[in-house]
Amino acid sequence: MDFSFTKKEEKFRTELRTWLEANLPEGWLEGKRDLPEDLDEYSRVLRAWQHTLYEGGWAAIAWPKEYGGRGASLMEEIIYHQEMVRVKAPPLINYIGIHMVGPTLIDIGTDEQKERYLKKILTGEEIWCQGYSEPGAGSDLTGLKTRAVKDGDHWLINGQKVWTSFGHVADKCFLLTRTSTHPEKKHRGITVFMMDMHQPGVETLPIVQMDGHSEFNEVYMTDAVATDADIVGQVDSGWHVLIALMLHERTGIGAELFTLEKQFNDTVELAQQYKVNGKPLIENPAIRQKLASFYARVRGSLLNYYKNLTTTIKNGQPGAETSIDKLVVTELNQALSAFAVEIQGHQGVLVDKDAVADPKWQHLFLASFGQTIGGGTSEVQRNTIGERVLGLPKDMGR
Amino acid sequence: MDFSLTEEQEMFRGHIRKMLDKFGGTQIAREMIDDNPQSLKKVYTTLAELGCSGINIPEEYGGMDLEALDLVPTFEEMGRSLVPGLFMETSALAVPTLKKYATEEQKQHNLPAIASGEKWISFAALEPFNDFSPAGIHCTLVQQDGQYVLNGTKTLVPEAELADAFLVLVRTNEEDQEDGLSLVLIDQTEDMKIEKQSSFDESKHVSKVEFQNFIIEENQIIGELDKGWTQLQEGLLYFNAALSSYIVGAMEQVVQMANEYAKIREQFGQAIGRFQAIKHSIVNMKVNLEIARSLSHYANWVVDTDESDREATVYSARTYATEKFIEVSAHNIQIHGGIGFTEEIDCHLYVKRARYYDQYVGSTPFYQEKVVASLGW
Ligand SMILES: Cc1cc2nc3c(=O)[nH]c(=O)nc-3n(C[C@H](O)[C@H](O)[C@H](O)COP(=O)(O)OP(=O)(O)OC[C@H]3O[C@@H](n4cnc5c(N)ncnc54)[C@H](O)[C@@H]3O)c2cc1C
Repeated sequence: MDFSFTKKEEKFRTELRTWLEANLPEGWLEGKRDLPEDLDEYSRVLRAWQHTLYEGGWAAIAWPKEYGGRGASLMEEIIYHQEMVRVKAPPLINYIGIHMVGPTLIDIGTDEQKERYLKKILTGEEIWCQGYSEPGAGSDLTGLKTRAVKDGDHWLINGQKVWTSFGHVADKCFLLTRTSTHPEKKHRGITVFMMDMHQPGVETLPIVQMDGHSEFNEVYMTDAVATDADIVGQVDSGWHVLIALMLHERTGIGAELFTLEKQFNDTVELAQQYKVNGKPLIENPAIRQKLASFYARVRGSLLNYYKNLTTTIKNGQPGAETSIDKLVVTELNQALSAFAVEIQGHQGVLVDKDAVADPKWQHLFLASFGQTIGGGTSEVQRNTIGERVLGLPKDMGR
Repeated sequence: MDFSLTEEQEMFRGHIRKMLDKFGGTQIAREMIDDNPQSLKKVYTTLAELGCSGINIPEEYGGMDLEALDLVPTFEEMGRSLVPGLFMETSALAVPTLKKYATEEQKQHNLPAIASGEKWISFAALEPFNDFSPAGIHCTLVQQDGQYVLNGTKTLVPEAELADAFLVLVRTNEEDQEDGLSLVLIDQTEDMKIEKQSSFDESKHVSKVEFQNFIIEENQIIGELDKGWTQLQEGLLYFNAALSSYIVGAMEQVVQMANEYAKIREQFGQAIGRFQAIKHSIVNMKVNLEIARSLSHYANWVVDTDESDREATVYSARTYATEKFIEVSAHNIQIHGGIGFTEEIDCHLYVKRARYYDQYVGSTPFYQEKVVASLGW
């Protein structure tokens, strides 16, 4: 058992911290963290932040050095996330490019593809989205209907995607299509294309989420065009590409856990400030007990994440246990934000400038419902844990 | 950063598991139901031979001078088989308390005997109609003519009939309601009045112990007079860390039982583990187990360090473990269906033990309050 960081890791932390203090947007550390409402403005500000990260060498620390990364160790990635949470850094607009597409291309892309795409991912010049889900294919991605048909020397793509996060700001889409008409198995006959979002046949329509924002979209493709050079991996082997991509999600959940821990501390503060019958809520034994119970769950989840991380470090790659982390952090996030709203009494329904406390609680509460769905629903996570960790038999029909 | 037990610790676990398996696992607890502690006594002897009873005792008193974390495999394995007895009270409550507060003479008198497995110590705190709190302790120890006289009744004293000594929490000062308590260590004698009590966890014996004008010597008082409650808190940190380990072991066995059964039991032409209602229930059990294990490993590490979250983590581990133990052991019965409700299958043993430990030396709200207080909220 050893929770200490090595000298090298501490040095890394100091280096990053110093850099952040000097380079975060003006006023950010002092609490001026409002991002523009206007979509174009929003995208411009966050692309600029991505570019600042790039210039400092902090855009994709886990990538190998030769591709513009730092070849960071798993522990350095953890420290990176901790520090970003600590300063409440601006969101990473190219999350999908940096954490998923880039590493997958480094892994299985051609030399031309690496040359063509990697740097632009780093600089924020090209923002990526993931086009997997469709109206009839969500949890079961093999149900996808979007087709890509070879027509002379290019491919024609037709179909519809849905829930495409960042689709409205993206330049490129990591797109899942069906290419074989008679697949003997549902997993076969799927091909991944890197599709240009700015071409004539691609239309993006924002979907209004239950929290009033529109971070995800519908994407319609009518005779959209791609070439062989845009295919990741081989034709019809898109499923393997997806699996390769998922292996790159090394530490993302950790970032969410650190954020959760921060939000828990803020909840305690809220309970200290908010008064009921003239007394701070925190003096109410029922509230204290609930907070203590949340404390145990938050600490436990974080420690469990460290335990799985230790296994990952020892085995060289993450195991199915990481599904436990995703399940736990999203459900806990939902429970905690609900609690933070609930303890504000009836005033808890007030939002934005009318909110009595920090309006982030109302936002987090609403957004939390997306977390237990996006990236694989809680039910699907439970299936994975049941089948891959506990060895229980698979559902009928799968 | 390495959040795992060492290879040696895991190897040690292997020895303990093999040994307990030879005794038939829960068979040891089941024999206690029949009032037959022979296996349990042999297990004690074997644990002592393997060195378990001296793990956290300094070398000068015949121990190995290791840390709380080194006891984790032993506790987890004992929990897996629901081994009753006084191992936890002795190693995780009496030993840390003695190490910290006892006089040299008291250490000489007790620690080597504990290390060699000749002395097992029970804990007598709770009193009829009272809770585990300073105000709940009324057994009085008063000074009379240079001696101390003890009067009062203790209830739910674990395995009293097997105890060589008792750590007893007594009131020595009526004025000081916050503390005013003292810890005394009393070797078992013929003239102690011990009466076995019936409880639904029959595999864990409990007794009422009555003291009527019972004379004890000054050198039986551990630590400072009137400061017993305060001192006890240090021991309770170790005890609750250990208890969380024991429960993690028990939960692990419960999850394994449910999982194995769900793979072999068939209904509607398929293994019941294929049904998501069952599968997801077992997954929830597994998730609770893993979180409890992580909390408990950290708790057992942190007791021997001076991290700032020492108390908060230990008490979180304890409350999380006791709460989830009740939950998973209940689900286990449901997953087993009718056979889960019988005496034949082990399911019920775990539910009963879960309930026993939930309230033992402090309840969930009691410890949650300590978490909050220790964090200064
Ligand atoms: C915030 C957010 C962002 C997203 N971003 C993207 C993105 O960028 N790109 C993208 O492609 N997609 C994205 N998605 C889509 C997301 O991956 C899907 O919504 C998700 O996989 C569920 O699919 P579905 O919505 O079709 O629900 P369905 O699959 O229809 O599920 C409906 C319900 O049935 C349950 N269910 C389904 N199958 C099973 C099963 N086998 N066992 C038990 N229960 C089952 C589900 O758990 C759920 O409760 C995002 C979603 C959200 C909420």
